[in-house]
Amino acid sequence: MKPGVWHRLDIIARGLFPAFSVFALLLINLLPLSVPLLSTASPALALMAVFYWSVNRPDLLTAVTAFLLGLLQDLLMGLPLGVSSLVLVLVQTGSASQGRFFHNKPFSVMWWGFALVAIPALLVQWLLSSALIGALLPFKATMISYVLTAALFPIVAWVLARAQNTLLRYV
Amino acid sequence: MAQHGGPQQRIFSPLRTALHRFAFILLILSAFGLMLLGKADTVLIERIRAASADLVSPVMNVISRPAASINELTDKIYNLAHLYEENERLRRENQQLLAWQQAARNLSHENARLRDLASYTSPPALHLVTSRVIADMGGAYAHSVMISAGSRDGVAKGQAVISDEGLIGRVAEAGYQASRVLLITDINSRVPVVVENSRDRAFLSGDNTNRPLLTFLTADAAVAPGDRILTSGHGGAFPPGIPIGVVSSVSENAVRVAPMFRRHQLEYLRVADYGLQGILSEDRIRQSQPSNDENITEVSPDLPDGVGIVPAGPTGNDGTSPSTNAAGEAQ
Repeated sequence: MKPGVWHRLDIIARGLFPAFSVFALLLINLLPLSVPLLSTASPALALMAVFYWSVNRPDLLTAVTAFLLGLLQDLLMGLPLGVSSLVLVLVQTGSASQGRFFHNKPFSVMWWGFALVAIPALLVQWLLSSALIGALLPFKATMISYVLTAALFPIVAWVLARAQNTLLRYV
Repeated sequence: MAQHGGPQQRIFSPLRTALHRFAFILLILSAFGLMLLGKADTVLIERIRAASADLVSPVMNVISRPAASINELTDKIYNLAHLYEENERLRRENQQLLAWQQAARNLSHENARLRDLASYTSPPALHLVTSRVIADMGGAYAHSVMISAGSRDGVAKGQAVISDEGLIGRVAEAGYQASRVLLITDINSRVPVVVENSRDRAFLSGDNTNRPLLTFLTADAAVAPGDRILTSGHGGAFPPGIPIGVVSSVSENAVRVAPMFRRHQLEYLRVADYGLQGILSEDRIRQSQPSNDENITEVSPDLPDGVGIVPAGPTGNDGTSPSTNAAGEAQ
C-alpha cells in the first residue's frame, strides 16, 4: 500500500517534533518569571531536551539541528555567538553515540548520565563565554544554573517521554 | 541487514561513518567561525539578533501574558499576608514624603525664579515609549530583557531605559517590533556615573552579578555605603541625574552598588529618547573617521542645546562656549 500525501506530511510533522520541543523550551526559558533566583541563573532547558532526544531518538535530532538550535539560543539570549552551537553539537554527538547504553535501564541511570554530561557542557559554555567576553563570568551563577538544570531534568524528561509515546510511536 | 546487504553494505557503511565524522568536524569549525564572526562584524550580528528578536516577539508577547498573571496572583497573595506591615510602612513613608513634598515645592519655586534670572534654556521635552517586558534572558551569561517596542515605536539603539525606580539599562539592539535591553548589571555594560553627595565621578561596570562595581574611582574619593549613584551624563550616552542605585558595600578593592530595580519584578519599562546619540553611535563613529587628520582625539558630541553635558570643543577654540562648559563642569 502506498502511503498518501497526508500520511507522509503527518510523518514529517511528527519527525520535526523533537526540534520543535527544544525551540519551545528555549522560549519557556525566556519567560519573565518573578522568581528572584531565576533572574540570576536559569536552568538550561534546551540542553536537557537535546540530551533527551539524542539518547532516545538521535535520528530525529541530528547534529545539524542541534547546531541551528544553539545558534538561535545565542541570538535570542544575547550570548556570544557560536558557543551554544558548539556545546549542543558536542552533547548531541556524545550522547547519541552512547545512547544504546541507556536503553532498557531505569530512568535514574539516564538522570545520572545527564548530570554527568551537563558538567562539561556548562563548563565549556562558561569558559568560552568568559573568553569571548574578555572577563571572568561569575562562577557561582553557573553552579546554581547547573544545580537547577540537573534537578529539573526529570520533569522535562517526563514531559518529553509522554510526547514521544503519543506522537512518535510509529515514526 | 548485514547478511543481504553484501558488498554494498561493506562500501557504504564506512562511507557513511566518514561522512558523519566530516559533518561533525564541519559543524565544530563553523561554531568557532561564528565566534570569530561575532567578534569581528558586530553590526551584522546586531541586525541578525534584532531580526531574531522580531521573529519570536509575537509568540513571547502572547505566552508572557499568562506568566504575568500568575506573577500577579502570587504578588496578591504575598501582599495579603503582609497587609498590616505594609500599611505601617506606607504610613511612615507618607509622612516623610509630605515633608519632602514641601521641600520640593519651595525648591521648585526658587529654581523657577533662578532660571528666570539666568535665562536658562530648558532641555528638550522627553520622548517616552512605554513597553512591556516580554522575555528575560536570565542566566549566568547575560543580563538582558526583551521589550515589546522597536523601531516601529521610535526605539533606537543606545536609548536609555528607565523604570519607576531609575535607570535599568540601554537598548542594545532595536528590531522592528521588539528590542533587547542590556541591563546595567550585564558584564558588557558601562555607565558614566557620579556619586550624589561627593560628586566623585566613576564608571558603573556590570559583572553579571546583581551588584555592579564602581570602577575608575579616584583614590581620594569619599564613598560610603548608602550614597546614591546618579548618571553623570558624560560621554553623551545617558542624560545626567537619573538615579541608578545605592552604594551597598565598600571594601579595599571593590565598591559595589545595589541597583534601584529588582530584576525579577520588571514589568513595564520606559524607553527615553533624550536626543542623545550615545557614545558609540554609528553616526558619530562615521563622523569621527574622515576627520582623522585634523583632531584625532576629539570626538564631537553634537548634542542638542540645553542638555547639560560637557561638550568637547569641536574646533579647539575654547572661548566660544564658556557658559555651556561651565554648566557642564558644574554637573
